[in-house]
Parts: sequence; C-alpha cells; structure tokens
Amino acid sequence: MGNISTKPVYLEDKLAEIKSDGKLEYRSKALPTWCPGCGYFSISEGVTSALNNLAIKPKDTVVVSGIGCSSRFPFFVNTYGFHTLHGRTLPVATGVKTANDDLTVIAVGGDGDGFAIGGGHLSHVARRNVNITYILFDNGIYGLTKGQTSPTSSLGFTTSTTPYENHDRPLNPLMMMLSFGSSWVGQGYAGDPGHLGEMIEQAIAHRGFSYLHILSPCVTFDKTDKTYGNLNMQVKPIPDDHDSSDLMAAIAMAQNVHKPPLGLYYKEDRPTLADGLDEITQQSGGGKNVVTAKAAE
Amino acid sequence: MKNTDIQISICGSAGDGTIAAGDILKRALAKGGFKVIAFDVYPPEIRGFGKCISRVRVTTEQVYSLKHHSDVLVSLDDSHAIPHVGEVRDSGAVIYEDTPISGVLEGSHISAHISPGQIPYGLPVREISEKETSGNRSRNIVALGYLAGLIGMEPEIFHETIADKFRGKAIKITDMNVAAFDKGYALGQKTFKLDDVTVGKAKKSRNKDATITMMNGNAAVVQGCMDAHIKTFFGYPITPATTIMEKLATEMPKVGGRLLQTEDEISAIAATIGAGYAGSRCATATSGPGLALMAEMLGLGVVAELPSVIFVSQRGGPSTGLPTKTEQSDLNLAVYGRGGDGQIIVLAPTNVEGCYKCAGKAFEMAEQYQTPVIVLLDLYLSNRFETVELPKQSPFTKTSNKAAKKKDLEGGYKRYAFTKDLASPRALPGQENGMHTITGLEHNELGRPSDQPRMHEDMSAKRHNKLLAALSHHDITIEKRFGDEGDVDVGILGWGSNFGECLEAMFKAREEGIRCSAMKVVMLSPLPLGPINDFMDASGEVFVPELNYEGQFANLIQGATARSVHSYTRVPGSPMRVEDMLVEIRRLAKIKKAKKIGKTKKAKKKAA
Repeated sequence: MGNISTKPVYLEDKLAEIKSDGKLEYRSKALPTWCPGCGYFSISEGVTSALNNLAIKPKDTVVVSGIGCSSRFPFFVNTYGFHTLHGRTLPVATGVKTANDDLTVIAVGGDGDGFAIGGGHLSHVARRNVNITYILFDNGIYGLTKGQTSPTSSLGFTTSTTPYENHDRPLNPLMMMLSFGSSWVGQGYAGDPGHLGEMIEQAIAHRGFSYLHILSPCVTFDKTDKTYGNLNMQVKPIPDDHDSSDLMAAIAMAQNVHKPPLGLYYKEDRPTLADGLDEITQQSGGGKNVVTAKAAE
Repeated sequence: MKNTDIQISICGSAGDGTIAAGDILKRALAKGGFKVIAFDVYPPEIRGFGKCISRVRVTTEQVYSLKHHSDVLVSLDDSHAIPHVGEVRDSGAVIYEDTPISGVLEGSHISAHISPGQIPYGLPVREISEKETSGNRSRNIVALGYLAGLIGMEPEIFHETIADKFRGKAIKITDMNVAAFDKGYALGQKTFKLDDVTVGKAKKSRNKDATITMMNGNAAVVQGCMDAHIKTFFGYPITPATTIMEKLATEMPKVGGRLLQTEDEISAIAATIGAGYAGSRCATATSGPGLALMAEMLGLGVVAELPSVIFVSQRGGPSTGLPTKTEQSDLNLAVYGRGGDGQIIVLAPTNVEGCYKCAGKAFEMAEQYQTPVIVLLDLYLSNRFETVELPKQSPFTKTSNKAAKKKDLEGGYKRYAFTKDLASPRALPGQENGMHTITGLEHNELGRPSDQPRMHEDMSAKRHNKLLAALSHHDITIEKRFGDEGDVDVGILGWGSNFGECLEAMFKAREEGIRCSAMKVVMLSPLPLGPINDFMDASGEVFVPELNYEGQFANLIQGATARSVHSYTRVPGSPMRVEDMLVEIRRLAKIKKAKKIGKTKKAKKKAA
C-alpha cells in the first residue's frame, strides 16, 4: 500500500505524465456519469493503465457489464463494450469468451448486480474457470436507484428500504468466491489507486477466472458506514507470509471483514472452460478448433 | 398397383419395449422405401407403469398426419390396450397374448373387448419369447415378427434393423432377438390373412440431389444447425427440447463447434446473445417455461440488435403443465413475450422437413436482420418421425453478418446507423477501429444512451421495419396455400404441427364435394398479411383450428387483419382429430351455402 494523499499534485505535471504514457488511448470521449469523489474513478483509472501496461489492444478487449452505477463503466473506456441486463454480466461474458478465445473479456458490476440478482451465475462461472476477469465494485448500497440496501450492506445500516435498520446479515463475497472454486481471488480498495491498479493488472493477466473484490465508497448515499474515512482506518495489507496457494488460509483471511486485508488471497493454475471444450473436440475426433469468430476485413 | 396405407399401433406399459418395437418397425419400413409418419405417446416417468403407445402409419405416397383409426393394434399390456381397441377400424386386426401366465378376471383380458367387426389374432407371445431368448424380455420382438408375417413384409430388412438397434451389445443379443422375430414371423405367415391389410411394393425416389432418410423434428433441427455451420450452443435440459442439445453435444465438437450446458435458461440465452455479439453462429433450445425465463434477455437482443436463434418446443402448459404432451399454447409468448415493443422473427415449421429448413434459415435471418429468431415447434413435431428428402449440398449460407467495412469505421463508427435496409453494418470485437459500446438503453446511432423522443421514435421504427424484409427472405416458405384454387366455401388457416391434420381434413372435405383449401402460415412474426388477406378474401368462411384453449393464432390473425374467423380450439394433449375438424368444416360449408342462398334471394328481390 502506498502512502495515501500526502504529496501535492500539480495539474501540468499530471497532464504531461498522462499524455506521454499512452493510456489515454483506452479512455472514451464520453464523460463518466459518476458523482465527484466516487470510488469508481480510481477503478476506471486502474483498468486503463492495466490494459496499457499489459499491451492488450483496445480492439481485443471487451468490457461486459450489468445494470447499476458501476455498470456504466463500458461507456467510459475505449474498448468494445456491452452494457447488458441487471445480473447477467457473467453469462454474457461467458458467451463472448466462448465464441472467441482471442478476446480479453472483463466483466464489471456492483454488489447488487453480482450478489443479489446475479447470484445464481457466480458459482458456475467460477467452477468452470471461464478465462475472464470479474471486477466487483462493492459499495454496499444501490446507488443508481438512490440508496437502497444491498446484499453486502452492514447490519444496522439505515437506507430508504430499511428505514428501521437492516437486519439481513451481509454476504461474505470473498469467502463465497473462494469456495466456489475461483482460480484467482484478490481484494483492492478504491482509496488506494496505486495498489488497486497493480491488482487489476494481475487479475487480467491471470489465465482462468479471476475475481477482484474492490471496496469502493458511495459518497452520495452512504455517509456513515463504508466511507473513505472509515475504510482508510480499517484496510490493511495482506501479511507477507500469506501463502496464496493455500485455499484454507485464504478462506480464514476472508473472515476478517472488520479489518479487510488487501492483496492476493488465492491463485491456482488449472484448465479453463476453453481447455475443456478443446479437449471435447479432440475426444470427439474433431479437427482443429474452428470456433473463433473472425472479424470482417 | 394398390397404394399402401396402413397404420399400426403398439400399446404397452413403460418398460415393455413398446417404443422400441415401434422404432424398429418404422425404421425397417423406411429402409424398405415406404413413407412413414410416426408418433409415440409416453408417460413423464422413466419406468413406473405408465401407458406407452407407438403409432406408425406406412404409405406409398407421403401423407401429412396419422389416421384416427388404426388398421392393426398390438397389445403388450391388456390393461393399457383395452381402451384403445375402439381405435381399430372395422375388419382391422388386434394382436394379443392368448396364453396368460395365470388366470385373468373377466373383462381384464383384451379378447373380451374386441368387437365383432374386428379380427382377433391371439398367440402365446410370452411362451415363444421364453423359448427363444430364455426370458420374456423379447415379447415385443415376437409380436413384431408376427405382425410382419401377417401383413407380408420382408423379414430381411427387419433383421438388419434389429442388428442396428442392438449394435454395441453382445452379438448373442442380436441373434436371440432375430430368432424371436423369426418365430413370430413364421406364425404370422401361417395364419389366415386380412386381404386388405397388406403392404404392396415401395416406390423408389428419383431425386439424385437428396438423401432420403427418416427422422423426427428435433433431429431435423439438429441437421439444419449442422448444415448451417453452427459454432456455439448454450442450453439447459427441458422436455421436449432436450434431444436437440443431446444430439448437438455429439455432433458439434466433431467440426470444432462448442456446446455448454448452462446453469439455467437465463444463462443459456445470455451466453447465446454474448456469442452472437462476438460474431459466432449461435443457438439455444428450450420449451415454454424456459422461454418465459428468457423473455428479458430477448428484449436486450431486440434493442441491441444482435443475432440469436432460439428453438422452442412447446408442451402442455401453463407452468410445468403437461411435460410429455403436445400443445400449441406458447404462440403468445413467442410472438409477444418481451417487455416494451419487442418484435422478433418467429418461424413455425409444419413438418419435419420444415424443421430442417427453418433451423438453417433462422441463422441467416438472425444475422441478416440482427434479431433473435424463434423457431417454434411442439412435442408432436419434435418427436414425430417422417420420411424426408434432405439436400446433399447445404442450402444455407456460412454467415449472413453484415460486416462493417473500412469506410463505415472512418470518422466515428455508427453501430446503429440509419441505412437503407435498416440493418446497420456491424463491427465485431477484435476488429480494428470498430470499438463501441452497445446497451439495453435506448441509444443514438453511435450506440450512446439517448432518451430524446425523436430518437426513440426513429429507433423503434428501425427495429420494426427492418424485419419486414424477412417476409421475402430467399428460399423459404413463408406461407403456402393447398387444395382448391380460386374461391372456396371453407378456407382452413393453420399453423405448426397441426397443419398436417388440416391438410388431411381438407382432402377429405374435398372428397365430400366441399370446395375447400388450406393455407399454412410459417412466419408468425412478422405476419405475411398480404397473402393472408387474399386467402380470407377467397374463403367464404375462415376456419382456424389449433391446439390451445384461447385460440392464440386466431386472435393473432383477427388482431392483425381486423376480420373475424371461426376459431376451433382443443387441448387433449394429443394431435387434433381429423374427424372432429371435418364435422366443423361441414357445418361451415352449410353456413356459406345458406349465405349464398340468402344473397341470391336478396338479389332477386332487388331485381324485382
């Protein structure tokens, strides 16, 4: 983790740095619709610099999203993008990747999109090890519909649909994704963009299904719980001696919801969905895989 | 030479080998060059003691439906077969077990139910089976052999078909079953013959460019998919569509295609649309309950203008309904079942060959008009076997995607550009300079969200009007008229699997001197309104029979043409009875006549 906001930043220097670096190519001309101070700005910054560092071309990248504040993401990056339905990010992304192995597919969405309405798809995309990256923006609230409780809202949290406090125990997304068989699981924080960028880069580089959980404050509808102020005091780096191939250690670490550790929880190399499908092609006596959809000349 | 037209029903309990015997029978006859149409009825349980019936109609010339009366009934289980004795015609045959293992109560044996006009053929089925195969598991084959001998079919083709059926098992199994068949055959040959229940010679086809084969609707869909070079398939098992996915799971990998069984139907259609977005020729298959789950995603397919093909085999509904019985009650869901103005293309083939054609053409249409396309079958069509002639060369394109060219991508690519044919050039992920984001939100030509009133008007018009071109899509029957030309007393307007019965009813009505014709409508959305209106103009009375309670097709037609029709609906879970339709046609023909007389009286009065 870097040192949070101590050095002054001068606009001229920053502009020169951005222009020279090449990541602007990954930015779309559309202005983000997020509120000033929203954690999602650091996520879009992280994704664009990660793609730039990994030298994945915009034309070979597809960003798939669902519905919600975070799902507006594809409009703000200059790649191929598909803003789909509430909760259906992962199956659509599975279809895109299955049709064309050459594409880098990044699924993005919020806690409501992924863990409420889309919850049924999580376990299956994880166990199949679809070679995509899932970046989950967790702010613990429904922002686009103006502040209702979400599956990751804390106990006692007051929202417009829980005016007498939330009594539903929040989910533990990291523990779920670890137990579902994700082959890469990590956690980042929007308040630490430097570290977040590194995590996004690692997640995209992983061959297999990578799940990156990002704690990201909603500055408009959550003034009391998951705020920058609170999270700055709570988050801590994963201890150096954590063995990222130890699933049980990762699950144990995921229990620490009050002092969320940031970094790589778990990583495993195993065959992807496409590997399995190619194996089936061979078993059937079929020829070379001809499935990759070709773009027109 | 007299033309052959025999219908055989085999009836037994689940596990008796009823369906297997019917299967061998129809395959052997098709091999012998006859035209076959066959349909099985079975219970939703795998074993249990439910009733199974296999009906096979064998003819020299292709027919369109099963007959109401069978010529021969074979009973493998009297308790199930007794209620079906009545379906055997006068002078028809009933074959049954005449040496029960123990005494049976009065009335529990089928012989007590055979009417005087029917001809009983009893034989010791179990005894022969035990002697030949040291067990009673070949009772179905013994009965089959007897039947073959009785009506004078060649035994060799049956031997081959039995060997095919047991291929992969020990040779001994085939040998024992062939012996069981021969024993039955010998007995059948020796007994006295029905002079009008015999098979003649089969005709040989002369079409060199086609392969003659016997298959059911689902197998034809699979063949259509394979000939159309399907690349990806995502599905979730549901009766009666499952066999489409099962067959594709075997066939697709052989040519490098990919098939995935998803966690539910929502995921299946989502992945199908995702694959379509990436440029892959893709499909899914389901039934009514699954289609209900897919409704929201199909709306996304409409607004994002992406190709996808959905094979829907209807069954009795609503909800879990009658999972193993046929019905045509998902027309509304297929035609209207989206939020918002979500028109798509819906094709409803009327026979097995149509299943093949519609399956392949659905891919072309989905890509060319950038829309979801539903191919609407039902259990009767999915499971009905027919002899079909399939082209040796695939009649389908490999891709019909309208690709974005260099000039389309210069100066800001417009994914939803208003073009002359309304289907905008499509850049696929991976294509240089084509980056864009698509969305379920209403959008402008660039694909960016827009809620401007004018934009929503224009985009709605684009999405609807582009589909009209499908009405003149190359090389597919959109609608077709049969029977009498010119003005008729009764015009039958039919759709889907039920159209075979419509044709049979129409031919019978004409034999009775009623001027009658029938039109099938294959494309249910958008509707071919011109030809439908012409047909209604020519028909004194318009008769719309269908297998649902509400008259969904009749309502569709009445709404679209603002003209009334005679809706005739039945929901027995089985094909419609031709005899019942005829009663209605005769009644309508009388109305027409009465109107005519009324008109001439009026005209005379006027003249006076």
